[in-house]
Amino acid sequence: MLRSVFGKSLWDQRRGILGWSLAVAAVGVLYAGFYPSMNNPEMAAAIRAFPQGLLEALGMTDITSPAGYLGSTTYGILGPVLMVIFAGTLGVRAIAGDEEAGRLDVLLAHPVERWAVVVQRAAAMAVALAVAGALLFVAMLVASGPAQFEEVGAGNLAAATVQLVLLALLFGALGLAAGALTGSRGLAWGVVAGVAVLTYLANTMGPTVDVLAWSQDVSPWFYYSGGRPLANGFQAVDAAVLAATTLVLVVIAVIGFRRRDIAV
Amino acid sequence: MTSIIETEQLTKFYGTHRGIVDVDLTVTEGEAFGFLGPNGAGKTTMIRTLLDHIRPTRGRARIFGIDTTEDPVAIHRRLGYLPGEFALYDKLTGGQTIEYFANLRGGVDRAYQQELMDRLEVDPSRRFREYSKGNKQKIGLVVALQHRPELLLLDEPTSGLDPLIQQEFYSVIREAKAEGRTVFMSSHILSEVERTCDRVAIIRDGRLVRVDRVGALRDMAHHTVEIRFTGAVPEAEFRSLPGVSDLVADDHVLRMRVTGGITPVVQAAARHELSDFVSREPTLEETFLAEYGQEPVAEEAAHGR
Repeated sequence: MLRSVFGKSLWDQRRGILGWSLAVAAVGVLYAGFYPSMNNPEMAAAIRAFPQGLLEALGMTDITSPAGYLGSTTYGILGPVLMVIFAGTLGVRAIAGDEEAGRLDVLLAHPVERWAVVVQRAAAMAVALAVAGALLFVAMLVASGPAQFEEVGAGNLAAATVQLVLLALLFGALGLAAGALTGSRGLAWGVVAGVAVLTYLANTMGPTVDVLAWSQDVSPWFYYSGGRPLANGFQAVDAAVLAATTLVLVVIAVIGFRRRDIAV
Repeated sequence: MTSIIETEQLTKFYGTHRGIVDVDLTVTEGEAFGFLGPNGAGKTTMIRTLLDHIRPTRGRARIFGIDTTEDPVAIHRRLGYLPGEFALYDKLTGGQTIEYFANLRGGVDRAYQQELMDRLEVDPSRRFREYSKGNKQKIGLVVALQHRPELLLLDEPTSGLDPLIQQEFYSVIREAKAEGRTVFMSSHILSEVERTCDRVAIIRDGRLVRVDRVGALRDMAHHTVEIRFTGAVPEAEFRSLPGVSDLVADDHVLRMRVTGGITPVVQAAARHELSDFVSREPTLEETFLAEYGQEPVAEEAAHGR
């Protein structure tokens, strides 16, 4: 594992990957486990009593169907939030964290291009998030029988999970880029958290306010869940938008990191 | 002779404070070059600019004839670097740390790596954060040397080390030199540079004030001697001794500055009844003050070279 910057990044993250993956999978399954208690006429009637606007804002319009339920629980808030925080941790640490700790000094005195450090760390982040996604997918698949949401199907679960990984990767790349441009961990975290919250609000609240309607189109969250992959399957265009944005962020990270002075 | 490091008006302004200004230097193949200056004079800035970790504000530097900003990786392949503060991966063991950097370089001779570890008595089994400062520096030195680099860049390699390990460092540096490698070493200790280097550049406030053979610095190396006599002060006996200057006598106490060996002073003092004898090597700051006074640095740089 200590053969390259990529291998060492994964080696360093091995405990984190395991811990976060288990946490995301556990939360996913626990949440999904409540589905049978939602799937009954009384609950459906109770939900209908809520104002439609509120349900829309909370993403709970279709809470009693399996796809709707998972889309507003495991794949609605907690799953993405955990995945985005995990991705942010990896992205911010990749350059800014190492730089603040003074660990880039010796590494960059070795015959390793700066762009290669950024790209290899981004690749390690992608692998880490893919592992977490894979574990979540398997856990959800196993839980789908007992928790009565089999009709979603393995294909749609996989589609939603892939799009979830792409969403997280985008925010990880944002942390990487902000850290590579500034060398500041705090600032990079601020950017990740700020953009994640604002774009989340843009996706859920934007459409309810006329002058902000456009904002949903620039929200990564829209390209994650707007096409309802749990109900409609893999949304290739949405996924491509997320992946392309991530790529652009990594390119920005490379350019920024190559240009500037490295702190002691 | 081939020049290994060549800088032309190399200047780096660092945020609000000045780093280095108009540094012109040539370090030739096979020499050990000392970069001497008090703390904050710009030594680390110089080394980090040579590494292309920071980019010059103006001027340029070439190592092995390659511009440092153009192909730093080609340069890094052929040099070894030991920073003053060796911060690394806390959770890796010393052995893993050495292994990782060997892998990044590729083609490291394992037998030589092992030989270095044996010589420096590196214990590779502990986690990096558990090592003392001295042991971290030893691992850093193995990392810097294991690929037999043509050039060694050492930033204050012995600061904070105990004297025994310091001696080992000196012998490793002498050995590297004997094998024809070039050494560029920063330091704030005059005697250390005297012991290990052939030539020295003295930097103060970011500017070179002098570049010379180490031998020529001997006149800068001096002691401050203070002798307390039980009887009257025999001032006249000391006035004519070689190397003695700035003689001041007051009640029972004689103070002087001694350049070069202090033996004549000790012999003269031994003929009298003493209550105390103090000899002190001044800090580099004091030496600088004595040598260059406090005139503006710009002027000194002009005659310094």
